Amino acid sequence: MLSLPPLIQMRNVRKRYQEGDVSRTIFEAFDLTIQRREIVALLGRSGSGKSTLLNLVSGIDLPDAGQIWIAGQAITSLSERERTRFRRRHIGFVFQFFNLIPTLTVEENVLLPLELNNLAGPARQHQVSALLTQVGLGDRRASFPEQLSGGEQQRLAIVRALVHEPLLLLADEPTGNLDNETGARVLEILLNLPRQAGTTVLLVTHSREIAAQADRVLLLEAGRVREIAP
Amino acid sequence: MKPLLWRSLLRHLIRHPWQLVLSVLGIALGVAVVLAVDLANASARRGFALSMEQVTGRATHRIVGGPQGVPEAFYTRLRVDLGWREAAPVVTGYAALADQPGQLVQVLGVDAFAEAPFRSHLDGVSTAGGTLTALLTEPDAALLPSNVGQPATLQAGDRRLTLRAVGQLDAAILAGLIITDIGTAQALFGKQGWLSHIDLLIPPGATGAQAINDLEKWLPPDLKLEPAAARNQATADLSAAFSLNLTAMSLLALLVGMFLIYNTMTFAVVQRRALLGRLRALGVSRREIFTVVLSEALLLGLAGTLLGGLLGLWLGSTLVHLVTRTINDLYYVVSVRDFSIAPLSLIKGAGLGLLATLAAAWLPALEAADAPPAATLSRAYLESRWRAALPRLNLAGLTLLGLSGLLFKLSYGLAAGFLGLFLMLLACALLTPSAVILLVRLNQQLTAWSGPLARMATRDVARHLSRTGVAVAALMIAFSATVGVGVMVDSFRSGVSLWINDLVNADIYIAPLAQESGASGASLRPDVLVELRATPGIAALSLYRRVEVTLNGKPVQLLALELAPAARAGYHLLAGQPRAAWQAFETGTAVIVSEPLAYRHQLRVGDAITLNTASGPRAFPIAGIFLDYGSEHGRILLNRRAYERDWRDATVGSVAVYAAPDEAVAVLRQRLETGIGRLQPLVMRSNRSIQEYTLAIFDRTFTITSVLRLLAIAVAFVGVLSALMALQLERAREFAVLRATGMTAGEIGRLVSLQTGFMGFAAGLLAIPVGLLLAAVLIFVINRRAFGWTLPFQVDPWIIIQAPALAVLAALLAGLYPIWRMTRSNPAQALRSE
Repeated sequence: MLSLPPLIQMRNVRKRYQEGDVSRTIFEAFDLTIQRREIVALLGRSGSGKSTLLNLVSGIDLPDAGQIWIAGQAITSLSERERTRFRRRHIGFVFQFFNLIPTLTVEENVLLPLELNNLAGPARQHQVSALLTQVGLGDRRASFPEQLSGGEQQRLAIVRALVHEPLLLLADEPTGNLDNETGARVLEILLNLPRQAGTTVLLVTHSREIAAQADRVLLLEAGRVREIAP
Repeated sequence: MKPLLWRSLLRHLIRHPWQLVLSVLGIALGVAVVLAVDLANASARRGFALSMEQVTGRATHRIVGGPQGVPEAFYTRLRVDLGWREAAPVVTGYAALADQPGQLVQVLGVDAFAEAPFRSHLDGVSTAGGTLTALLTEPDAALLPSNVGQPATLQAGDRRLTLRAVGQLDAAILAGLIITDIGTAQALFGKQGWLSHIDLLIPPGATGAQAINDLEKWLPPDLKLEPAAARNQATADLSAAFSLNLTAMSLLALLVGMFLIYNTMTFAVVQRRALLGRLRALGVSRREIFTVVLSEALLLGLAGTLLGGLLGLWLGSTLVHLVTRTINDLYYVVSVRDFSIAPLSLIKGAGLGLLATLAAAWLPALEAADAPPAATLSRAYLESRWRAALPRLNLAGLTLLGLSGLLFKLSYGLAAGFLGLFLMLLACALLTPSAVILLVRLNQQLTAWSGPLARMATRDVARHLSRTGVAVAALMIAFSATVGVGVMVDSFRSGVSLWINDLVNADIYIAPLAQESGASGASLRPDVLVELRATPGIAALSLYRRVEVTLNGKPVQLLALELAPAARAGYHLLAGQPRAAWQAFETGTAVIVSEPLAYRHQLRVGDAITLNTASGPRAFPIAGIFLDYGSEHGRILLNRRAYERDWRDATVGSVAVYAAPDEAVAVLRQRLETGIGRLQPLVMRSNRSIQEYTLAIFDRTFTITSVLRLLAIAVAFVGVLSALMALQLERAREFAVLRATGMTAGEIGRLVSLQTGFMGFAAGLLAIPVGLLLAAVLIFVINRRAFGWTLPFQVDPWIIIQAPALAVLAALLAGLYPIWRMTRSNPAQALRSE
């Protein structure tokens, strides 16, 4: 049986930030491999570089050295425009603070990624309606994000991130702004929907309990990653 | 086209209607001013062109003479001796309608038998049984336009004539034109025996060239052959600099509008930074964001341009009267009967409005596209980026400042001067954010003793530099324009006042009444001069004769003078040794020229100018250059004896009387009115009334500038309201946090007022040095290159105080609405938002 190459491969990645006169190293000779369809939790303390890692993987930022491949595509060799297009098609993002588009309705927020990828159409309209109903927002299609509760906004963000069937879902502290009960419900949706769609998930969290629900847990520490028991 | 992308950005604008309205208004005002000035200029030009067409007709050339014109006898010689058939004598001038004061008509005196090949518009005559020949046979007959009642009584100087209609000129183009027989026109203008010019029809090609050659050889030295359009164009060119300066002033208003658009668009980008970052994170490309933001601006620009177009039409119809009044006062007679809406002006106005919007929105659109997704949530990153960019901004500003200085130093043209001016303003805008930081630091030290509110207010200005810096820069530019123009006009007036006070230093000035009606060639009768010299109580007389001559193809005033000793003090020499210059002048072998003339023709003391005299061309060396604001095209002073000798004209146009030391001026005046007033209708003026009249003309001329300056202030005011209101409205959440922590609504109101007031004050304060710099450029570069004269640099403290006062007032007003909204809002509601 042919085995597919890993979805994410990072080799010898270095990333530093200049803060005034001081140079702060986030990653030095960093390696990471994540297989397709995996749900991987990335655990680390605040300031360990979790968000930086997500920015590098998504192509939002570039490393100072090293290579990053996503689904066999070396994104570090792409131009900014090409990386944007790649991210648009193949990556979904869920943020801690939701980052919904405040001037679009619930339905429009979900349709936006489809429109950006020229995938919008009547068939997709049904898909959107079904997804919103599945996460309990079927009757809030015409509402604006500011009219939703925190949990509802994050559910909407998850649907938006998955509607265009990306290869990879990146979630940055998705329950960090929610209470425990709401967070648990959101997490359940966050983990089940991609499993159904076969989407790889890289979930960044500082919570052991949340990390334990992933297939694999990686600990980010001192600029390096090592696998630990879930 | 991605509708949801558009919708996500446009809805933000719609949710901030005040910002939308104020930014559209800013564009509209700028476009309105530009369009109004262009329409007014175009109407005046068209009025002049139409009136010239009425006279020129199909004539290809004309024979012109000296100040009195062409001797009538020469026309007979032309036809009989030279056999020239296609020639028509013309006597033309302007007269006032006695029953419509202020309404001028153009009178065209023609020879009915020679007229047909030249002016076909006479085909539009409707006659009630009369023909063109009736003009010859019936006394005081005329063809009157339909808008003039009959009979028509005309006043030209001290001559009055009532004309009877033998036909009516129906064509609209002929409104304002009266056609009569040459003899009647000569009687009206006192030109018996003289013609204004002789029209000729010369065929093109080799035949025509040969004819011109033969004719020029045959012409006496005091007559000249020139293309028919040349003089019209030369006359029209007289007001070119005035029109150009008006246009530049209007562009200044548009520039102010552009800065406000830039401010609005930048603010709209900054407000939506998080939104833009989210879109970038979702995969919207830079190009897509750039396109949408720029298109938004274009929509605003379109709305503003349409509104500005309507405002401009209304404003233009008002301005046209001011423009034509100024042209009449300073340059030539023009009568605008219709306010013409030139399609080209509308297209230009629309194009400028949209271009200005595009140019102003370009950088904000680029900034929007450059919003890095990684920085979406970091406001501190944004502000730190701005701070990091300050050295680059300063470098760019200093570079542009240097470039503008080089332009002023090394270039000569007016266009280059304006380019340098605009670069300088841009440079000052770039340096403003750093200046704001300095002012904040200074203010922090000054308010160290005051409570936390004052310190918070100004500290916030520095903290939010990405917004406040841009707003203050835009407002500073707007107010500096008002300071700069105000100082320039004030300086100019001061210069003119000093000049006229020095120049007009005699006690009484006497001139024929005819000159009041524009008959500048009218002269004093010889017996008047005899009686004058015999009148007791007079210490000295200055005699003047003013005529128009041509220098390098351009009309220039020649003043033939016999000066009383005291009169020389009125002519301040800027170049040439006064004693040597006046000695050379007295001998009649040299001239003294005005500064504008020397500048325009690149003349210096020692150079010679060649003038066409009755004896032929003659060279006159320049002995001195004097300060003069009487004519931007220049004046030449020539000794009267030399004028009489070379132009064979002994007439005197006006006289200045210096009373004897122990003579009461009022008594002397009475004596003169009794003595010479009975010999000829005269006007006698005191030096004071002439000085006041001159300044009144000046004030009228700058009425337009004042109107434009007021409009620029209006644009600036709107900009302050827009920028500062938007700044405060977006801080609703921050105010909610402050109220939640215990600050009262009143304290927050004071915080808002302090902050907006500080920003307004900063803009107004920075506007002072920039405005003074602008004034210096307007005075020493623009005015010099446009008109050629030297102006003093004088600063009225009131103009300086106005800028910060107006800016603070507008800023405080801008804070009222956000304060009102904040006091009515529920803090809990504001805290709930993301």
